[in-house]
Amino acid sequence: MKKETLSVGDCGDRRNFLIKLTSVVGGAGVAATCVPFVASMNPSSDVLAKAEAEVDLSGITPGAMRTVAWQGKPVFILRRTPEQIKAAGASDGGSDPEPDSKRVQNPEWLVVIGVCTHMGCVPNKEGPGWVCHCHGSQFDDSGRVTRGPAPKNLEVPPYRFVAGNKIVIGKA
Amino acid sequence: MPGRIIKWIDQRFPLTSFVEHELTSYPTPRNLSYWWNFGFLAGFVLVLQIATGIFLAMHYKADTALSFDSIQHIMRDVNYGWLLRYMHSTGASAFFLVIFIHMARTLYYGSFRTPRELLWWTGQGLLLLLMATAFMGYLLPWGQMSFWGATVITNLFRATPFFGDQVVVWLRGDYTVGDATLSRFFALHYLFPFLIIGAVAVHMVALHSVKSSNPSGINLADKDNIPFHPYFTAKDFYGLGVFLIVFSIFVFFMPDSLIEPANNIPANPMQTPNHIVPEWYFLPFYAILRSVPNMVGGVVAMGLSVMMFSFMPFLDRSRIPGGAHFRPIYRVQFYLFLLDMLVLGYVGYIPPTNQTLLIGQVATLCYFGSFFLHPFISKAEERWMRARGLPPELLALFEKRPPREKLTREGEAA
Amino acid sequence: MKTFMALLVLCCIASSALASEAKLETVKVGIDVRTVERGVDAVMNACRPCHSMKYIKYRDLVGFGIDKQKVDTWRGDQPLDAALLAQMSESDAMQAYGKAPPDLSLMAKARDGGANYVYSYMMGYYVTPEGMPGNHIYPETKMPDILGISAATEAAQRTEIQGKARDIISFLAWAADPHEQERHRLGYYVLGYLFVLTFLLYLVKKQIWSRLK
Repeated sequence: MKKETLSVGDCGDRRNFLIKLTSVVGGAGVAATCVPFVASMNPSSDVLAKAEAEVDLSGITPGAMRTVAWQGKPVFILRRTPEQIKAAGASDGGSDPEPDSKRVQNPEWLVVIGVCTHMGCVPNKEGPGWVCHCHGSQFDDSGRVTRGPAPKNLEVPPYRFVAGNKIVIGKA
Repeated sequence: MPGRIIKWIDQRFPLTSFVEHELTSYPTPRNLSYWWNFGFLAGFVLVLQIATGIFLAMHYKADTALSFDSIQHIMRDVNYGWLLRYMHSTGASAFFLVIFIHMARTLYYGSFRTPRELLWWTGQGLLLLLMATAFMGYLLPWGQMSFWGATVITNLFRATPFFGDQVVVWLRGDYTVGDATLSRFFALHYLFPFLIIGAVAVHMVALHSVKSSNPSGINLADKDNIPFHPYFTAKDFYGLGVFLIVFSIFVFFMPDSLIEPANNIPANPMQTPNHIVPEWYFLPFYAILRSVPNMVGGVVAMGLSVMMFSFMPFLDRSRIPGGAHFRPIYRVQFYLFLLDMLVLGYVGYIPPTNQTLLIGQVATLCYFGSFFLHPFISKAEERWMRARGLPPELLALFEKRPPREKLTREGEAA
Repeated sequence: MKTFMALLVLCCIASSALASEAKLETVKVGIDVRTVERGVDAVMNACRPCHSMKYIKYRDLVGFGIDKQKVDTWRGDQPLDAALLAQMSESDAMQAYGKAPPDLSLMAKARDGGANYVYSYMMGYYVTPEGMPGNHIYPETKMPDILGISAATEAAQRTEIQGKARDIISFLAWAADPHEQERHRLGYYVLGYLFVLTFLLYLVKKQIWSRLK
């Protein structure tokens, strides 16, 4: 609505004001109309419903790992043996030092996002910890980077224990 | 600063002169009524359909196993998906309503007559493109009506001489309407609106070459023309506001009134619904199809019924200028034709019985009769009017016209 | 052209008159949470053994405002994101009834007459003189008279069953069009805005054209 280009000389201020007002009201309407179009590209409600994943931990034996999907990403859940807990607590990791106690809620359960912080590949469980085959980064049993190009430790997702053997990954 | 930018552009591209020529000094008859708003409205609906369509396509899946579910996903889960979809489905009906009124105006005021034949024919091409686009879009929700509508319409091509069955299979890419059909219809449904944009551009070039017709039906003197902008931009936007009110009532309060209930049932190739009807905008043509007992004849009659409008510049033999306003017999004919369309629409809507079949056949005869008899009617009307003496307002118009134009007009019409 | 306008209006009236041909009972659909909640309860007991509602998920019920605890009892050990599926498998249903019971997600929109049709259908059961079950609205139906309307003779009993059917319809109507209330609310704002804008555009048009006189 390009009414501003009007010549207004012969008709006084009232029309000038009226046209400006109408342009503003019309422009606001056009802007408001954009909202549903833009909003439709945001995650839909069924995608948002997957923002949380409930995981039953029973059945994971000590020393075993399970991979679950959360928001489309793999999450490693490792049930650590007392030896693994001890080994993880012994050091602060490599290039991104962080104590193990800060990375777990319950030392028996390590929950980390299985996406290498370097280029986004999924590391494999090999020996103690994980190895990322894309560029050779290595992570220990606390998910901390011990060698290679990865700049940071594996990320810990938000999660909470809802029962003794059940966790919910993601924020409510 | 904006002035300098425009100057920079003008040295490289005729921006200002283009705007001046097509908008700020484009001469438009000052006596245009609100019936002349509908071309602009059609352009608006086209933009709305393309915008909502592109955003719907981001969520839609053209796959027989997924498309019905993806529509439900749009309606339930996508943010404002219901709004986009209802705007798009209501917009299809709005498009036809606006175009039909636009055409009715052209017929009533004789806007198709010399020198606007090409303008009228490009408009007819647009109508065909619109019908094709709407038909293909209707398959996409993959409901029962979608499926059986597409089945019936693609079957029409069995009337093709020699290769009928092969043509139908080729169109569908399958023995029945199936996954291949759905995918190609989606591809073409996305493509055709852009062809429509191109055709609209041609339509606009034709319009700006011969200029708008007007209710008097004869070309006005220069002093009776006013610039399109700001007068008609203001008028068109006011009309747009009224249109949007009606449109919003449908979108927000009765959107399902334009969607057949059976289309809320997923397509089932094993079972035809008891009563299949096309969308309201195809009903008169559908009634003509059903009225002819022979299959090929029905298809030809239906195709012809859409094409008939294109012949109007040849069929109208009257040299009396002006539209139905000055031609009493043509006016009666116009309203009878509209009434006939409504009868055909009704017959197309209800399930066929012997009685309605007869009504449909009579209405079909009237439909074609009003076209084929038009040369004789219009000629007789001219004789009758001249014998009676032309009405004073028409004589006044004759006098006002510059003599040269009168000459060319008489010469062309003869 | 005024006659043309009149014809258009006539056409609209005629088409709306056409739509209401069948002899259906009209039911007033409830849109409040409590009616819908009672409806879900009835559907869970009466319909879900055979019918699915695959486009409705438990989280949708919670989102609408239905008590979370009730939803938890309905869903049992299924996740919140699960759809309301039938308890009977489709092949079992085919064996028992000869055809698969239709999904109910869109039922309130999928028949001519909409909610009125479904209500009239559920209330349309009767016992034929030969003692066989029949239905006025859909004689070929394979569904048994699950609400027991054909056996109810006392007025109080019938009223109770009709109330239950109304609850069910209210839920089905919500399920078929879950955004209806949001749509209406937004619609009033949009129309209000458009009236203001159109009035302003009318004034602008009038002012600009007044220059010609």
